[in-house]
Amino acid sequence: MSSESYSAAEEKELVKASLDGDKMAFGEIVNRYQKMVARTVKGMLGDSIFAEDVGQEVFINLFYSLNEFRGESKLSTYIQKIAVNLTLNEIKRRKRFFSMFSQKANNEMYEFEIADRDSEERREAAEIVNKALMAMDPKFRIIITMRMLQGYSTKETAEILDLPLGTVLSRLSRAQEQLRNILVKL
Amino acid sequence: MNASEIKNMMLGSLKEEADTIEVARRLEEEGVSYNFSKDFGEKVLNKIYSAGLTLNREVEFVKYMNFAFYRIALTGVAAIVVLIISIFLMQGSLSINSLLGLHDNYDESIVSLLTGN
Repeated sequence: MSSESYSAAEEKELVKASLDGDKMAFGEIVNRYQKMVARTVKGMLGDSIFAEDVGQEVFINLFYSLNEFRGESKLSTYIQKIAVNLTLNEIKRRKRFFSMFSQKANNEMYEFEIADRDSEERREAAEIVNKALMAMDPKFRIIITMRMLQGYSTKETAEILDLPLGTVLSRLSRAQEQLRNILVKL
Repeated sequence: MNASEIKNMMLGSLKEEADTIEVARRLEEEGVSYNFSKDFGEKVLNKIYSAGLTLNREVEFVKYMNFAFYRIALTGVAAIVVLIISIFLMQGSLSINSLLGLHDNYDESIVSLLTGN
């Protein structure tokens, strides 16, 4: 396959080629979905050094579980599920680690690097979104990340998070309440 | 887009009927975008494929070990069988004493040796 044919290839072809040991094919999968993974991981963990490590873990896990991918759902959904699980695990791990320190230390980990923003307004928008997300309970944060940053519907969010639709709907309304309270303070 | 518009958009995205795709697109336009470093893909591929080589070597090592163990175990079992047959032929039985290489009349000598009497 030439580099052009990789970018034009369908995801099923890329999966098959990756399973046959084609490094370039898996590289194309990484290229296609890294932005989507970044939205989930960085939306949930903040723009920290840990987020990039978790992002790498997502694709490493994908690589080793690619033979279990049956093609019944979209590859993006499959990757998104891995990203959500690993991100939630990282949050739990951090929670345990930072419970040994003060809340202040915990918040300091969520400082963001907002570089190369071309205007003060854009920088402010990113700062509001990130600060609000980090102030939220992780179980609501993941719902907001899926909808607001990834653009998923309630049904898609429920499928990715492996939650009943009713649970997602009730979390949506509670998340809205919590977000409203947070945004007043920002 | 000013701060209050961003906040309203965020809240609006949580309404069930919200056009979430449009919200995500507009937020990205407003600078709310997330990316990994430029060499992210390269790092991932290096980790996977260098780990793959290590894994292959480990698998080969285990395979050779299993093969070597199988041959050693077979030889060991054969040696034990030959030993038992030779004991049976020499001693005429397979009692504990004959397996340990002791004759019945040794018992007393051992007791004497241990007790000093």
